[in-house]
Amino acid sequence: MEGIFAIWQRDILKFFRDRSRLIGSFAMPFMFLILFGSGMSGAMSSMLGGSEAGALRDFDFVEFMFPGIIGMTVFNTAIFSALSVVQDKEFGYMREILVSPMSRVSIAIGKVLGGSTVAVFQGLLMLVFVPFIGVSISFVTIIQLIPTMFLVAFAISSFGLLIASTLKTTQGFQMVIQVLIFPMLFLSGALFPLNGLPFWMDILVKINPLTYSVDMFKKIVFDIDAMTPELIEAMGLNLSIFNHVISFTEEVLVVGAISLVFVILATYKFSTTEA
Amino acid sequence: MPTIVEVKNLKKRYKDFEAVKGVSFDVEQGEIFGFLGPNGAGKSTTINMLSTIIKPSSGTATINGYDIVQKRNKVRSSIGLIFQASTLDEKLTANENLMLHCKFYGVAKKLREERIQEVLQIVDLTDKRYNIVETFSGGMKRRLEIARGLLHYPRVLFLDEPTVGLDPQTRAHIWDYILKLKEKAGITIFLTTHYMDEAEICDRVAVMDHGALIALDKPVQLKKNVGGDILEIATEDNVTAKSRIEETYQTEVLEKEGILTFQVERGDEFLVQFVKEFEIPITSVNLRRPTLNDVFLNLTGREIREETVSQKDRMKQGRGH
Ligand SMILES: Nc1ncnc2c1ncn2[C@@H]1O[C@H](COP(=O)(O)OP(=O)(O)O)[C@@H](O)[C@H]1O
Ligand SMILES: [Mg+2]
Repeated sequence: MEGIFAIWQRDILKFFRDRSRLIGSFAMPFMFLILFGSGMSGAMSSMLGGSEAGALRDFDFVEFMFPGIIGMTVFNTAIFSALSVVQDKEFGYMREILVSPMSRVSIAIGKVLGGSTVAVFQGLLMLVFVPFIGVSISFVTIIQLIPTMFLVAFAISSFGLLIASTLKTTQGFQMVIQVLIFPMLFLSGALFPLNGLPFWMDILVKINPLTYSVDMFKKIVFDIDAMTPELIEAMGLNLSIFNHVISFTEEVLVVGAISLVFVILATYKFSTTEA
Repeated sequence: MPTIVEVKNLKKRYKDFEAVKGVSFDVEQGEIFGFLGPNGAGKSTTINMLSTIIKPSSGTATINGYDIVQKRNKVRSSIGLIFQASTLDEKLTANENLMLHCKFYGVAKKLREERIQEVLQIVDLTDKRYNIVETFSGGMKRRLEIARGLLHYPRVLFLDEPTVGLDPQTRAHIWDYILKLKEKAGITIFLTTHYMDEAEICDRVAVMDHGALIALDKPVQLKKNVGGDILEIATEDNVTAKSRIEETYQTEVLEKEGILTFQVERGDEFLVQFVKEFEIPITSVNLRRPTLNDVFLNLTGREIREETVSQKDRMKQGRGH
């Protein structure tokens, strides 16, 4: 038990010590918000059929993106937290860990929990953008966000650990992650609403775990009940499978199930690591 | 002295290459046991099997009474390990590295502070306790690793090339600490080295070559087995001199870089006679006691080449910094 805690603690300690990483984590969301938000929001809303008047007058692209930014940050941080596993292998610290009497399962769990916690911190840091965006975030929203972020981060950290356990070099890991990260982000609805996609793409969206993760954040951040059906439609807030609109609870179950599968696979794979 | 490490016919095979070819030996409690051999001899592979890092292909071994395959976690609690390459987290402080180690090994909470102070004192790093490891010199890092390896009071401390890549002065210091450990903690020390002078310090030395043990004894005894003293001479005609000596004294002569080397009984008496009698003009003479290098030379016909090896290892160590 204490082993799990120690592995977790090391990740937290290093997260807060690494200032450049902390600051750097703002760069991408900031860029997205400026670029898409201010620069392109006009183009985006007109593309979506909205104009000065009409039902979509309320569509604010920056506002739309905000939950996506949180999702993206949590996702990136969680998956890159597994990079430390590969780095530890390269720099030798993994040996110190692996030759100790701790069980491999504790080490894997500690790593996943560490990555998840760091991702939640990062996600929360994105809330500093709130005053500039104009969304209103209540205290209750934040309380709801934290466990949701943790659940998503847990699933993604486990996925990262699974990949990290199969690879030996940092470059290899980064390459695999880059190849995975962008399609998953683009097909998750984090950056733009996914309306009117071709059938095959729609299938990819529906099997992408990130889709449900991002949708959870949207459901928490937006006050959907107060929106017109047209706006809900335009913002892609009616995620459904076989004409069944998916509820928040169902999404928690889906992401929870994915977490479970990945954490089991990752732990198993990690256990076979030789020092 | 009771036995603390027992090794029986331990083998490690990589595909069709046998890195360790069935070694057997015992290590006694409280001794400094050395593995001496050139790079690639299989020293690290053996130590890695004993410390449960890799699984043996066949054979068995016990440490502190625990089987290295069946009782891995018991073995891991019983040993401390210092690897050839650093395994510190350089972004953390010395204290954080030590504290994490205590937690990994389940050192009781109330013992931690005392133990950390104790091990830091052994390696003279008390005043660097809260510094980031990145700022340490190579020697300080090594010392910190030794300190960390002692935190959970292991019965056996394994050190794989503990002084490789360090300057001679630092090497000497590390050895002071190792000897201090033996005296103070009564701990068993199992190390590998390719430095002759380091092997000399060991209570017993196992000489390894091509994955097999070719000798195991006290350094003094090993050198005695070489037989007598070593005479090194240079002459104006080494080729003729070589065959002449081999004929006359029935001994094997090795030639390297213009120097003829051979073994003789009672070297001082022999030398006087030899210089008087030998017809080919001698340009230089050196008589010395045998070293462990001569032991290795005697057993394998080759030398343990220190320069090239340490160069390579230094590069290995530099990796990732
Ligand atoms: N993982 C491995 N796969 C294949 N060969 C290996 C592996 N590890 C070590 N070897 C080989 O086994 C031999 C012994 O290596 P090692 O034990 O590191 O030697 P030493 O520590 O004495 O220098 C070397 O020839 C090395 O190339
Ligand atoms: Mg070695």
